[in-house]
Amino acid sequence: MADVEKVEIVGTPALDGTYISEMDMWPFECQEFNRIYPFYEHLRDGKFTTTKCKKCGHIAFPPGVICPRCWSEELEWVELPQRARVVTFTETQAGAPIGFPPPIIMAWLSFGEGSPLKQLLSRIVNCKEGELKEGDEVKFVVFDVPSHPIEVKKETKICDRVYYAFEPVK
Amino acid sequence: MAEKKKAVIVGGGTSKFGVRQAHLLDMVQEAMKACSDDIPALKPADIDGLIVATTMAGRHSSALNTAPLVVHRLGLKPTSICIRLDTLCAGSNSAIIVAKGLVESGIAEVILVTGAEKVYMPQRWETNYTQLAVNDHDWDSAMGLGVPPPFFAMIAKMHMKRYGTTKEQMAHVSVVNYNYGTDSPMAHFCGRTLTIEEALDARIIADPFGLYDCCPLSDGASAIIIASEERAREMTDRPLVYLRGTGQHATHSMSAGWPGETLAEWPHLKTAADTAYKNARLTPKDIDVAQTHDCFTISEIIELEELGFCKKGEGGEFVASGAIKLGGSIPTNTDGGLLMYGHPFGASGARQAIEICKQLQGRALHQVKDARFGLTHNLSGTCSQHTVVVYGQEPVE
Repeated sequence: MADVEKVEIVGTPALDGTYISEMDMWPFECQEFNRIYPFYEHLRDGKFTTTKCKKCGHIAFPPGVICPRCWSEELEWVELPQRARVVTFTETQAGAPIGFPPPIIMAWLSFGEGSPLKQLLSRIVNCKEGELKEGDEVKFVVFDVPSHPIEVKKETKICDRVYYAFEPVK
Repeated sequence: MAEKKKAVIVGGGTSKFGVRQAHLLDMVQEAMKACSDDIPALKPADIDGLIVATTMAGRHSSALNTAPLVVHRLGLKPTSICIRLDTLCAGSNSAIIVAKGLVESGIAEVILVTGAEKVYMPQRWETNYTQLAVNDHDWDSAMGLGVPPPFFAMIAKMHMKRYGTTKEQMAHVSVVNYNYGTDSPMAHFCGRTLTIEEALDARIIADPFGLYDCCPLSDGASAIIIASEERAREMTDRPLVYLRGTGQHATHSMSAGWPGETLAEWPHLKTAADTAYKNARLTPKDIDVAQTHDCFTISEIIELEELGFCKKGEGGEFVASGAIKLGGSIPTNTDGGLLMYGHPFGASGARQAIEICKQLQGRALHQVKDARFGLTHNLSGTCSQHTVVVYGQEPVE
């Protein structure tokens, strides 16, 4: 219990060593909090995946637990293309959310004819400011992001996490 | 079946918009005071319904269930409806659609629609951080998309590439809107003016946007009264302004669902507009004055195209031709718009409604001569949803 008389406390006493999920920049990826957790497990294997409907054949993105076209629950995981072209992009200096070091290079990607995923906004990583050009080919890349604790009965378990972005094909 | 009632906007007012030394509920009270000054006969007991539009109240003001707080601070005792509504930047415009339906159906008689945001926090970084949660948090936001400039910068680049739109044409939007808003006392940048040269020389925010291509984030609140025609006549002698038609169209929440051929085409806005025009029994040619969601200069250019005020791709030339000024074919954002008046997300739709109300009553600061029909438009999210409301001096018969 925090002592309200203690004037040396700056900020919220409850934050001392505590994880506040409201301040989390990343998704809950673990099975305990997410029914699409296979997406994140596939990321760890270097696979970019989503759910396809076995009834109507629709491939949705992001993945889900029902098909957004016919509402069937009969879904299967399929792989998505890992290469795309930069349609347009921007390099942001100001206003990047804390935790994303500027400049953030943000690109609008096209996956081309025949891809179930037509376009996507993505951060471009492993790329210096001024290097990227419209029409460049980029590829899928997975990296570690901060973990978070969860309570499992009386224990605290640490959930490691990953996320994805795209990087220039050198 | 009873005959459908007719819904009107009676009047309204806003708090000062800007970086405010004020709590969310202070600004809601200020907006209510301004609304009360605009409709002197209005008393707290007249209001039977309340819709509060806010996005950030839950996080920035620790006020998740916001409507009861507003009830208490404004001395209301609603009996028909008391809700908080969130469609981000379209909040109070969505609330107007709801209010119209409730009044027309007879469920409510006099509804207060108020929109409010406390955006600025004791530490500025927290505002950008909260923006991660107003986009699709687990997907686009996890890519680092917080505040909107990078996304709309890509839209601008695409429009420039496909249609030849120039930075100078974009600057015309901010210059016109700054000149409209300079004498609006409640505007974020009241008193400021802008020239094309200043706009083009401004520091870069996200290429191709300079500072004046982007609307500010603002603290602020707005309040309007939507009522039945009968109750409105008891409160005011001014000409009545009817809610003729509405449309709201949402297509996706994150980039993979973008509905356009490219970022430069906004077919979802066209659908929302077509729906509103159809309900209003009007066409774009009938509209005399518009308030569109000029979150960025390019936004207003594309909106003028998709709303049918000029041909697709010709928005840049259109704004540079003077069409959006007084005397032009469609004076737009005549109170300064988001770029000048400011943008407290949930408050903006009602702010636009106030300006259209004044225009159609012939009492606007920058009056469009003989304005009979007006339109408001908001987009929200990463341009994933569009809301259009059409007003008129006469109801749809």
